Amino acid sequence: MRLLFTFLFLKIALATAAQTRISGRITLDPTGEAAIGATVAVKGTTVGATTDLDGYYSLEMPPGYTVLVASYTGFLTQEIEVGGRSTLDIRLAESATQINEVVVTGYGSQKRSSISGAVSSISAAEIAERPILRVEQALQGRTAGVQVAQNSGSPGSPLTVRVRGVGTINNADPLYIVDGIPVDGLDFLNPNDIETINVLKDAASAAIYGSRGANGVVLITTKGGRRNQDGKISYEAYYGIQRAARFVELLNAREYATLQNEAYIAAGRTPLPEFAHPEFLGEGTDWQEAIFQNAPIASHQITFSGGGERSAYTISGNYFSQDGIVGGPKANFQRATVRFNGTHDLKKWLTIGNNLGFTWLERNGLIENSQFNSPVIRALNMDPITPVRKADGTFAYSNYTSTDIANPVNAIEQTHNTWRSNRFVGSVFGELKLAKGLTFRSTFSLDATFALQRIFFPKFDLSNVPSLSEAPVAEKSLVNSVNIGNNNWRNWQAENVLTYQKNIGDKHDLTLIAGTTALHNRYDANGGANTNLPSNDPKDAYISNTIDPITSQSAYQWATESSLLSWFAKANYELNKTYLFSATFRADGSSRFGRNNRFGYFPSFSAGWIASHEDFWNIGLVNFFKVRASWGQNGNDRIGDYSFTTVINNGQNYTFGPNEIITNGAVALTSANPDLKWETSTQTNIGLDAELLDGRVQFTTDVYVKKTSDMLYAAPIPLVAGTAPPIQNVATAENRGLEMSLNYRNFDRPLKYSFGGNIAFVQSEVTGLGRGGEPVLSGYVQFANANASKTDVGHPLASFFGYVTDGIFQNQQEIEAAAFQSNETVPGDIRFKDLDGNGVIDENDRTYIGNPTPRFAYGLTADFEWRGFEVNLFFQGTQGNDIFVNTTRFDFSYVNRPASALNRWTGEGTSNTEPRVSLNDPNQNARVSDRFVEDGSYLRLKTLQIGYNLPRNWLKKVRLEKMKIYFTGQNLLTFTKYSGLDPEIGAVGGSLELGIDRGFYPQARTVLGGVSLTF
Amino acid sequence: MKKIATLLLLALAFTACQKEFLEKKPIVGVTEENFYRTEADAIAAVNAAYATMQFELSPAGHFRWFWGDIMSDDAIKGGSGDNDVNALLQLETFKGPTNTDLLESEWGANFEGIYRANVVLEKVPAIEMDRKLKARILGEAKFIRAWNFYNLVVMFGGVPLVDHVLAPSEYNMPRASADDIWNLIEKDLTEASADLWRRSEYPAADLGRITKGAAQALLAKTYLWRKKWAEAKTITAEIIASNEYQLTQNYADIFTLDGENNVESVFEIQYMNASGGNWGKNNANEGTFTNVFQRARGQFAGFGFNIPTQDFVDEFFKEGFEDPRLKSTVFRVGEPMGDRGIFTLAATGDMPHIYYPKKYFSNKSEDAPFGDPNPNGGSNDRVIRYADVLLMHAEAAFQTGDEPAARASLNQVRARVGIPSIGASGADLLNAIYRERRIELGLEAHRFFDLVRTGRAAQVLGGLGFRAGTHELFPIPQSQILATGGALTQNPGY
Repeated sequence: MRLLFTFLFLKIALATAAQTRISGRITLDPTGEAAIGATVAVKGTTVGATTDLDGYYSLEMPPGYTVLVASYTGFLTQEIEVGGRSTLDIRLAESATQINEVVVTGYGSQKRSSISGAVSSISAAEIAERPILRVEQALQGRTAGVQVAQNSGSPGSPLTVRVRGVGTINNADPLYIVDGIPVDGLDFLNPNDIETINVLKDAASAAIYGSRGANGVVLITTKGGRRNQDGKISYEAYYGIQRAARFVELLNAREYATLQNEAYIAAGRTPLPEFAHPEFLGEGTDWQEAIFQNAPIASHQITFSGGGERSAYTISGNYFSQDGIVGGPKANFQRATVRFNGTHDLKKWLTIGNNLGFTWLERNGLIENSQFNSPVIRALNMDPITPVRKADGTFAYSNYTSTDIANPVNAIEQTHNTWRSNRFVGSVFGELKLAKGLTFRSTFSLDATFALQRIFFPKFDLSNVPSLSEAPVAEKSLVNSVNIGNNNWRNWQAENVLTYQKNIGDKHDLTLIAGTTALHNRYDANGGANTNLPSNDPKDAYISNTIDPITSQSAYQWATESSLLSWFAKANYELNKTYLFSATFRADGSSRFGRNNRFGYFPSFSAGWIASHEDFWNIGLVNFFKVRASWGQNGNDRIGDYSFTTVINNGQNYTFGPNEIITNGAVALTSANPDLKWETSTQTNIGLDAELLDGRVQFTTDVYVKKTSDMLYAAPIPLVAGTAPPIQNVATAENRGLEMSLNYRNFDRPLKYSFGGNIAFVQSEVTGLGRGGEPVLSGYVQFANANASKTDVGHPLASFFGYVTDGIFQNQQEIEAAAFQSNETVPGDIRFKDLDGNGVIDENDRTYIGNPTPRFAYGLTADFEWRGFEVNLFFQGTQGNDIFVNTTRFDFSYVNRPASALNRWTGEGTSNTEPRVSLNDPNQNARVSDRFVEDGSYLRLKTLQIGYNLPRNWLKKVRLEKMKIYFTGQNLLTFTKYSGLDPEIGAVGGSLELGIDRGFYPQARTVLGGVSLTF
Repeated sequence: MKKIATLLLLALAFTACQKEFLEKKPIVGVTEENFYRTEADAIAAVNAAYATMQFELSPAGHFRWFWGDIMSDDAIKGGSGDNDVNALLQLETFKGPTNTDLLESEWGANFEGIYRANVVLEKVPAIEMDRKLKARILGEAKFIRAWNFYNLVVMFGGVPLVDHVLAPSEYNMPRASADDIWNLIEKDLTEASADLWRRSEYPAADLGRITKGAAQALLAKTYLWRKKWAEAKTITAEIIASNEYQLTQNYADIFTLDGENNVESVFEIQYMNASGGNWGKNNANEGTFTNVFQRARGQFAGFGFNIPTQDFVDEFFKEGFEDPRLKSTVFRVGEPMGDRGIFTLAATGDMPHIYYPKKYFSNKSEDAPFGDPNPNGGSNDRVIRYADVLLMHAEAAFQTGDEPAARASLNQVRARVGIPSIGASGADLLNAIYRERRIELGLEAHRFFDLVRTGRAAQVLGGLGFRAGTHELFPIPQSQILATGGALTQNPGY
C-alpha cells in the first residue's frame, strides 16, 4: 500500500502546478463499508485511481476537467461535479442492473444494453458459487437454451453441450473459443481461471464465426489482471468425498434362483440342482456394492494478480485430482495447469499482451457406457450367486456366464488405460492505436497437444484349476499385450482485426470491425502394439519388452490437416442509445469444402429498440425495456477433413494364373463430391429484455426458429452411378424454441437474497433427408439385436421406435383372439399391438414410442447472504424426455434382473405388466418396445453451498483481505421416476445416440469443504 | 498511414497464398487424388473392373444362368418350392414383376462394372508406364465396359449411355437407344481387339485376363445380334485362323476343374474356392455361388436351382441316339453325384426333380473351411468357348450364303463328340446350327438369348407366356425409374 501512495505522491510531485489534487473515501450503501478497489476516473481522460483497503483514493485533476466517475462492480456508477473541492467522499448505491455489464461478443465486446442478438453470460462470481469440475458444467441450468448433460460420471469425461437443441444429424457440438483461440474440448481448462463465459445463441451473434457457428458459440475469457490494482494473492482449495447416489434394485440370490428355476421349467428343462432350495441362498453378492466406492476429490489453486498503470497480469496454478466412484484410482483424473495472462502498454500507441496456458492431464479410463462389458453393465447383470472372491482371496468367476458378463471387480483390476496429455494453449497479441478510435490488433495463437495413451492388457486366468483353464473366455486372458498411441494436435491461428469506434456527441455510436483469420489444424498420430510380454507388471508395459519375435509388433501412423481462411466485418450503430443496429458478414474458405464450394458467405442483421430510453417512457416500475430481432446464417464445418474426396478401396480382387492367385483390385467405392460444403443454418430470433424495480427484477425471453439446410447425408442415388452414394448436402432440420429467464434480487437489506429461474423449450425435427432418403437408425440395443432410435422426416431426432405392448396374455384364449405373434407364444408372454390390423405382429407394427429430447429444460437458483453467511441453492432439471433402458442383457438367460422381475407373470391374473421368465424368448418379449421406455424427467439439487465470509476486521490483523470457508453438496437430491442409476444421460457416441442407458456411469453425490483466501 | 499500408500488404499476402493454403489433399491413405500414379495402380484399377464380372449377388442373385437358362425352355427355377426366389418363377412364366431386386441387382452390377471400367479409361492414360501394357489395360477396360453394356442391352434394350464417370448432376441420365449402346459396344470391342494381347502372348501368371480372341468373340456375338453377318463371318474366321484355340478332345473335360482355361476357353470368368463368402454384396468374393445353388438339395446340401426340363433332355435323343453330351450336361436319377452319394429323389430332399444340372457341379465347394456357412464354389463361368465361336462362324457363313463353310464349322463341333456329320442345307442347315447350339452350349446361359436373337422366342416360349414385343426385354427395375424421378422410361408392355 505504501508503494502505491509513494507512487501517487511522485506523480503529484511531478505534476504541473495547473493540476489539482483531489482525494477522498468511497463507501458502500447501505453498510457503509469501504469500497476496496473501486475505480475513480476523471471523466473524458485516462486519468484514474483505485481505492485502497480502506476505500481511500487520491488523484490529480488535469486542467479543464471537473467531473469524477466512481464505479464499483455491483454498484451504480456515479458522476460527481468536483466543483473546486479537494476532498470528495462518495457513497455508492448498490445496483442489481445487468444492463451495463460488458458482454464479450465475437471480436469485441458490448454493453449488455446494446446487444441486439441472443447472448447468455456467466460470470466468475457465478462459477465461484459452486465449484465445478469441468467448464461445461458452468453452463448447465444457468443459461436458458444451453442444454448440458454428462456423458458419464467418470472423472474427466466430456459433456454433451447443445445450444438451442440439436440442429444436425452430424456433429452438434458448439464452437468453443477460449481467449480468441478455437479449441477442441475443454478438459484442459481450469474452471477457476475463467472470468466470463458468453454463449452466442442466435445466428446473428454467431454469424461472425461463419461456417463454424451453426451449433452456437461458447466464448470463454480467462482472468487477466486489472490496471491500477494492488497485487493480490489468493489461494483456494477444496476436498471432498464422492459416492454413488443410488443403486438399482436387483434380485438377491434367493430371488434370482427362484426365477432361474422358473425359467428352466418354462423352457422345458430341468432346473439346476444347486438352486433346488433358493431359500438357503440368502442375499448373495451385491455387485453394485462391489464396484462402487467412496472416492476423493481435491483441488488447489493459487492466483497472483495485479496491475500498474501500464500493465496488468494474472499468474495462476492449479492442481486437481478426482477418483471415480467406480474404479477409484483406476478412473482417476488429474490435471495441473499453469496460466500467465498479461497486458503491457509499451508505447502510447502499442499494447502487447499474452494469454498463455499449459495443462498436464492424466486420465485413467475404464470402459464406460458399453452394453457389452463396462463395469456398470456387468454389475447390473452378474448373477448374485457368484461371490466377488473365492475362499483363497482370488477373484471368482460365474459358472453361468460365457461372454460379456464377467466379474466387474476383476475387470477393473485388470484395466490399465492411461491417457496423458501435455497441452499448450496460448496467444500473443499486439494492439496498435492508429488514430483516435482506430485500433489494429494482431494475434497469433497456438494450441498444441502432445498426448500419449498407453493400454496394457495383463495376463490373468480366474480358473479354479489354472492347468485346466476352465474359466469362460471373458474371465481369462492368456496372452498379455500393450498398445501405445501418440496423438499430437497442432493448431495455429493468425488473426488481424481493425476496430474503429466513433461517438458523435451523445447521438451516434458507431463501431466498425474488420478482420482476417488464418487457421491451420494438423493432427498426427502414431503408435504400435505388442503381445506376449515377459512381465505382467503394468510398469513394464513397453512395446520393446517382449519375448516374441519382432513380428508380433504392429505399428501405425496417421496424419490429417485442415485450414480455414476468413474475412469478416461487423458494424454496430446506436442512435440516441435507443435504436440499435448491427450487421455482420463473414467469408470462410475452408480446405474441408469441395473444390466447387471453396468459400461460404455468412451474413447477419439485428436491430433493437430500447423503449425505456424514449422520452415518452414513463412506466417508472420498468426501468429498462428492450425488444430486439435478429436474422442470420451460419454453418457447421465439422464435416470431416476430406469428405469431398474419396478413399480408394483395396480388396476388389480377381484371381489370375494357373494357381488362382488372388490379385488386388482397387477403386473408389464411393464417389467424390466436389460440391460438398458446410451445413447451413438460418435462424431468426426475437427477444425482449426488461428490468423492473431498479433492476431488482430482470427478465429476458427469446423465441427462435432455426432451420438447418444442406445437412450432410448419404442419400441413395441411382445405380447408374456405379458407386455407393457420396455424402451430399441434402438433409434439412428445424428447431424452434422459447427461452425465458427471470431473476429477482433484493440488495438493500441486511438479508440479501436472490432467486432466479430459466426455462427453455425446444423442438427439433428432421424435415428432409433428400430424395429417397432412408431414415437414419441409431441406438443399437444388443439384447434385442435391433436399433431403438430412428430419425425420420417429421419426427424428433433419434426418437425411440418399436413395438407397443398391450399387457400380458393371461390364457390361451387371449393368444388366439390376438394377432399372431409366434407359434410358440404362451400365456405369460407380452401381447403386442397389431397397429396395422393385419392379424400378424410384424415389422409394420412398430411406431414411435418415445422421445429422448426434453420438452423443456430448466434451472432454478436461490442465494441468501446475511452478515457474511451465504447459502446458494441450484436446481436443474429436464421434463418430458424418455430413456430407453438398456441395462439388462435379456439376450442372456442367466443375467440378474431388476427387482421388478418379481412381479412376473406366474399364472392367470398374476401380472399384466411383467412377462413370464423363460430361458428362451420365442415370443421376443425383449424386442424393442415401450416396455423399456421410461420417463427420464428429473429435478436435481445440483449444488447446495453454505459459506461464511470471515469479517474483514478480524482478517486485517492477519493481513488477509478475504477469507471464506464453505461446504458444498453436489447432486444431493434427485427427483425422478427413472429406475436406473442416473437420469442425466448425454449423447454418448454421436448426436443421434440419445437417452439410451447402457449402464451409465452415474454422477457422484459429492460433499466437499473448501476455503478461499485472498491476501 | 504507413501502418495501414503494411496492413494492406499483409491482407494481400493472404490473398496470394490463399489457394495453396486451402488446397489440402489427404496426407495419408490412398485417395482418388493420390492414386493412379504407377503401373501397379493401373493394374489394380483394371483388376477392380474385372472383379465386377464375378458379381452374382449384388445384393440379390443375378446369375447369368437365371436369365439364359431358367427363362428359356431348357430349365426351370427349382429351389425348395414356388416361394423360393418367387420373383424368378414370375419372370420365367413371363408374369414379370417390374420391381424385383434380382433385376435391380443385375442392373446395378453392370453399371458398377461400367463405372470401374470408365475409371480406368479416364485415369490410366495419364500414368507414365510401359506403352504396350497401358494399351492392353485400356483394352481390358474397354472389353469390360462392352461386356457390361452387352449384358444390359440384351436384357433391357437401350440404357443410359454411361461412357464416363458420372458427376452427381448426371445421375438422372435418360436411356439411349439400343443402337447407340450397340455402337459403343462395337467401338469398344474393335479398339480392344486391336490392343489386347493374344492369349499366347500373356505370361502364365496373367491367365484369365481378357485376350484379343475374347474381344473378337464378343464382337462376333455383337455382330450376330445386329445381323451384321459378313462382319461376323470375318471376325470369327480371324479367331479360327489365329490358331490360338481348338476344341478340347473330350467334351466332358471342359467342365472339370482341370478343364478351366483350357485350349477351348475364349472368355471365362474366373472363380476360386475361397472361403469367406457371405450373402451380402459379394464384391470381394473370389468364389461362385453357382455350385451350391445348382447342386441338389437334401444330402447334397445345395439349393437345387436351374432344373433341366424334359423337353431339353429330349432334344439329346432327337437324332435316334443319345447324344454323348447329355451325360456331361445333366444328372439323371441313379447317377452318382460326386462323392455325396447316388442321386435318388429321397437323397435330394424329396424334391420332385429327376434331372439336375451337371456342368457346374463341383465337389470342390465342400473344401471350404469347416464352419463356413456359405461355401463358395471354384468353377469358372465358361462364357465363350471355341465351340461357340465355330457355331457363330457357321451361322454367319450360312447367312452370307457360304453353306460349305457353315457345314464345316458345324461338323467340326459334332466330330469332337463323335456324332455323324450334317449334310443338310437351306433352312434345315440353319435349324441344325440352332439345335447344335442348344445341345453343345446347353445350360451355359445361352438359350434364352439365342431364341430372342434369332426371333424364335415367341414360337418356342409362347406356351410359357412369352409375348412378342414385350418379353424380348426385361422390365427396367421400377426402383431405378423412381430413383431417377422418372428420367428412365419403362420397356413397352410392362
